[in-house]
Amino acid sequence: MKRMDVSKLREIFGEQNIKTDPSDLYSFGSDSSVHHAMPWAVVRPDNTEQVQKLMVYANQALIPVIPRGGGSGMCGQTVPIQGGIVLDMKHMNRILEINLPDVYCRVEPGVVDDDLNLALKSYGMFYPPTPASSRIATIGGEIANNASGVRSVKYGATRDAVLGMKVVLPTGELVTLGAHTRVEATGYQLHKLMVGSEGTLGIVVEATLNFVPIPEYRCMGIANFDHLSDAGAAIGEIMASGAIPSMLELVDSVAIKAVNKTMNLGLKEVAASLIFEADGMVKEAVDYEINKMKEICKKHRGSDITTSYDPKERAKIFMGRKKLFPALSKYDDCLSSTSLADDMAVPYSKMAEMAGKIHEVAEKNNIIMTAYGHCGSGCMHTKILMDTKQPEQWASARKAITEIYEYVRSVNGTTSAEHGIGLSKAASFKVEKADSLKLLQTIKLALDPNNILNPGKLMQAPDDWVTATGLRYAVNN
Amino acid sequence: METKKATRFNHLQKWESTLAACIRCGYCFEHCPLFKFTGWESDAPRAKLITAFGLLSGELELSETSADKMFNCFYCRRCEAACSSGVTLTDVFTDAKKDLVEMGYTGPGTTSITEPYCAQCLLCVQSCPHEARSHGENGIETDPVKCQSCGICVEICPAEAAKIVHTFGTGKADLIDASNRFLDTHTSAKAIVFACNWSYYPDLQASRLPESETHDRDYEIYVNMCAGRLETETLMAPFINHAWGVLVSCCPEDDCQHKDGGKRAKKQVARLQSILKSLDIDPERLQVVEIPNGDKTLFQAEIDTFIDRLNALGPIT
Repeated sequence: MKRMDVSKLREIFGEQNIKTDPSDLYSFGSDSSVHHAMPWAVVRPDNTEQVQKLMVYANQALIPVIPRGGGSGMCGQTVPIQGGIVLDMKHMNRILEINLPDVYCRVEPGVVDDDLNLALKSYGMFYPPTPASSRIATIGGEIANNASGVRSVKYGATRDAVLGMKVVLPTGELVTLGAHTRVEATGYQLHKLMVGSEGTLGIVVEATLNFVPIPEYRCMGIANFDHLSDAGAAIGEIMASGAIPSMLELVDSVAIKAVNKTMNLGLKEVAASLIFEADGMVKEAVDYEINKMKEICKKHRGSDITTSYDPKERAKIFMGRKKLFPALSKYDDCLSSTSLADDMAVPYSKMAEMAGKIHEVAEKNNIIMTAYGHCGSGCMHTKILMDTKQPEQWASARKAITEIYEYVRSVNGTTSAEHGIGLSKAASFKVEKADSLKLLQTIKLALDPNNILNPGKLMQAPDDWVTATGLRYAVNN
Repeated sequence: METKKATRFNHLQKWESTLAACIRCGYCFEHCPLFKFTGWESDAPRAKLITAFGLLSGELELSETSADKMFNCFYCRRCEAACSSGVTLTDVFTDAKKDLVEMGYTGPGTTSITEPYCAQCLLCVQSCPHEARSHGENGIETDPVKCQSCGICVEICPAEAAKIVHTFGTGKADLIDASNRFLDTHTSAKAIVFACNWSYYPDLQASRLPESETHDRDYEIYVNMCAGRLETETLMAPFINHAWGVLVSCCPEDDCQHKDGGKRAKKQVARLQSILKSLDIDPERLQVVEIPNGDKTLFQAEIDTFIDRLNALGPIT
């Protein structure tokens, strides 16, 4: 272990903002992924100057620094694979400015997504990326990950909402990137480079974000399909028709069965359901969009089609999707719901085929996998249910994931839509981006010559995710 | 990771699959009064499950500090209500505590203790809803496994000998200090709202608003673990410090986790209202409202109504 001078950390952050006891460090070694590794210390900055001082020290002492938000990442982005100092940004949590006339807000990275939306609500506005983890995810983490969610089909991902930012580079230098304007053509768009860089290029200490008006009307619908291919065809046609859904979600048969089994919701057990939504300021416009989607679903043999503007009815329609996470966790006492190969994106026309492929691969490898996701933005989510104590289940998962990513790449899909790469998906990422890996590494070292900022991730991550770190599960010998 | 079982965790052992089932989503963070007070993720419920896994697997060394994590819990169970995986977290903590006590670790964490000057009146023994307090050879003792840190012994003890040392901002002194600080630093301040932990906080959970939006705030909300435990001193301190009024939120009477917390709060407020009246202060300046679990909208509406009423009454002269 490189020598870490705790007194230096005390000098920068004060005793109350440092953790070095293993009982604290242990929980900072995890996120929402399968990985675990121990950091050497956790520090909690309150201001930019402290972040700069830390980076100057760490860069000189060659100590890894791992920026961390809510710790809700699903691929091990914040797991300190080489040890080092976890930089917990949750205390830099001030909403600095909500500028209504210029339609932007400035926030510190530790602001929680839901909190920002609560603050914007009083202005009739919302911050649109909306990942499912918005109640815990911080803006800094979302930027690092280019987070998105159910409404990205209409409003885009984090990258589309970020106008500019202040960033502390691994050398401690503070730079201002981007602008406060909706458009900018002033040289390299380096703020966009920071989005999705997973804390490997710089530490965002302030972000300028765009926001949009909360729509007056929201109408949600559901359609059931007896064949996955019909649902897939409906997705493709909706997206090609010029309709603008504010949400378009696919839930497969395994997911429906899981929800029924554990929550007793009595949902009709069909091959797939599509949940669609339109929103807007004018009811007639929303009607137009929703009817268009309804008709397309009908055309592709969608049945039991229901739509509603009523919030309670909408909640009912969305219930199956909403209860999916807890349902998968409770599916079987012996099985755990693991986040692996969990957010690939494929072209619209391949969504249904992708879901079918997931089922086929799962069956072949004796694991349970479900397919659901934001099909309107091409994102397919999966969860692998497996007995994490059995080493052979990990071997099966490894094999299944390899096969799934091979398919994803074969149809011009991409490894990650919104959860990022971290450690879990590095193998597929490296294959997918093979001809640009050298360039990526060149960029990384240009900004971080001593490779101290979140090292060992993305193109630097080990090829085998199972042995990349300790696993957060107890696996039998 | 290879399994290295710490065989001494006989009770915790049965939760092994549950610890694996937790998907570590972190949805419990915003519900935990410990996390909201310290801001450290390692105090959040998820971290405690991770710690329990570490202790059980042998990956994390057993020490006073790692054991203490398990004794730090107010058993409000809001983490359980929010849990994506349906984990009954407090049952896991209780079983971990059983093992730890057998190994000689007793916290105290948030467990109540008894100071040596205890008069042994036994009021706390009779009042403890969890039968955690008893009278033995060494005076009053607390069973750290049974104690759920509800604080009723602290409230009822006439000698102030029953104490919760680690209050995480929810103790009497914390609430008085915080409300006084708000009243001292905000010239616009009118009211203090003491919210039961189950009256879901209607404001930002873990972020801070711009100074421009907070400098003229006319009320502040302080969370306590149960409205039934608010003491006279806590409720009256804001009046001494020029507050225009105090609002207390409690759970509906048939839905109080601490049995009769709502009833106790109403009784306490009624008693103090009569004292206010005798001092020629409008008793409406101290009110209690029932807020069903999770109804943030109603809570905010009740606060707004209360502030409107205070505006009509004006400051206390």
